[in-house]
Amino acid sequence: MKRSTKRRLVRGVFYAVFVAVVAALVLAADWVAIQENFLDLSTLEETWPAIVTIAAKNTVVYTIVAFVGGLVGGLLLALMKLSPIAPYRWVATGYIEFFRGLPALLVIFAFAFAVPIAFQWQPPGGNTVPALIGLIVVSAAYIAETLRAGIQAVPKGQVEAAKSLGMNPLWTMVSVVLPQAFRIVIPPLTNEFVIIIKDTSLLFIAGMAIESRELTTFARDAVSTTANSTPLIAAAVMYLIITLPLTRLVARLERRTQRAR
Amino acid sequence: MTTNEPAIAVRDLHKYFGDNEVLKGIDFHVDNSEVVCVVGPSGSGKSTLLRCVNRLEEPTSGKIFVEGIDITDPEVDVDDVRSRIGMVFQQFNLFPHLTVLRNLTIAQQRVRKRSKNEAAEIARRNLERVGLADREGAYPAHLSGGQQQRVAIARALSMEPDMMLFDEPTSALDPELVGEVLATMKQLATEGMTMMVVTHEMGFAREVGHKLVFMDDGVIVEEGVPGEVLAAPQHERTQAFLSKVL
Repeated sequence: MKRSTKRRLVRGVFYAVFVAVVAALVLAADWVAIQENFLDLSTLEETWPAIVTIAAKNTVVYTIVAFVGGLVGGLLLALMKLSPIAPYRWVATGYIEFFRGLPALLVIFAFAFAVPIAFQWQPPGGNTVPALIGLIVVSAAYIAETLRAGIQAVPKGQVEAAKSLGMNPLWTMVSVVLPQAFRIVIPPLTNEFVIIIKDTSLLFIAGMAIESRELTTFARDAVSTTANSTPLIAAAVMYLIITLPLTRLVARLERRTQRAR
Repeated sequence: MTTNEPAIAVRDLHKYFGDNEVLKGIDFHVDNSEVVCVVGPSGSGKSTLLRCVNRLEEPTSGKIFVEGIDITDPEVDVDDVRSRIGMVFQQFNLFPHLTVLRNLTIAQQRVRKRSKNEAAEIARRNLERVGLADREGAYPAHLSGGQQQRVAIARALSMEPDMMLFDEPTSALDPELVGEVLATMKQLATEGMTMMVVTHEMGFAREVGHKLVFMDDGVIVEEGVPGEVLAAPQHERTQAFLSKVL
């Protein structure tokens, strides 16, 4: 057999396998049941417009709060980890290793219920706020590592140039190192943001009041009240509307930084 | 500035990197308005010596006096000392996220506490001095290597330092760009700037330098008037080195 014929044959087999698998799934699925349970328009109407005005809005608000909080905490931790003062380094390293080593769900659960007990604190609006603090605590650990890597990626000569001009360590960090470090970490930081969007779904563990529910909690609740799974699909679509443009943005930013090098 | 004190005086300077002794007891001085060129093979410790003068490297032992003040004293404000010593690096080390003008004004504002306008005025004067008055809005990445190094010189000059350190300022440049940087340095020397220059440019050392210091293996082997040392080196290690580079 000729080499080119053989190659075409192998290719043909791969296509055939693909088509066969898809066909088998399509034939095996109960399309009526799927349509009734997952794509039911009247159920969809019931969730509208609360899925946008409450659920999607809350997801976005929680994401921004967790990201900004995580950025502030992460920057502090990154600077502590690079500090010449040893106890600061130990605390930062311990914190980062501890919270990156635990499932986010466990941390959020612990914060949602343990923190109000430990501090005898009645959080306003139920356990959402302490649960959100748990999410901030976890995000800070991940963002700290991203920022530390960015700070260390700034060439040593930059710090030396700033020092040689008489700049003190604070000014060197603020006006020379950090602006360059943030440029380096924009793609991984955007990735962190996308992960936080999805991690806000873990806040369901806090058991939230109706007006503070985010997309996943909202969808689960709607599934049980309507006895129909369509809200899950609707929530999935909402997540994708938020995350897809961001992941595309990350890809673009990564291409740009690669070109700049 | 006190005129009777040398600008830089180094006494019995030792520097270790781990177990490796890079400077083995250096005694040396630079007078005011003097241009001292330090030459020697790579690994001889000449860059380390230069970097000890503004404490980018911490000396292991020995003393360094800048305008009569012992800068190895832990009580000395090292940022203040550095702000009076301009430094030019082999790799330019311009701040890539800032425009040329901002590169020149940022330390003036932060360290010298000058107003934005005053800093910009001084910066423009120094850009003109290095022949780059028209590039103040450019970013470093858009300049040639020679232009970047001239901006770096202007950045150091904008702090109005009493002396300048040059760490192989032309070694990272394409050959055709070396001349413009050396010309700028020569102009500085004729204006009376005190300069300590680590370099491989023997032509510059002969023409502009007042003193040539030859270092090898962590010690000063020979020093003297550049023309004389280059024409008739006394020490065999100097002879061996010069026979390779000249």
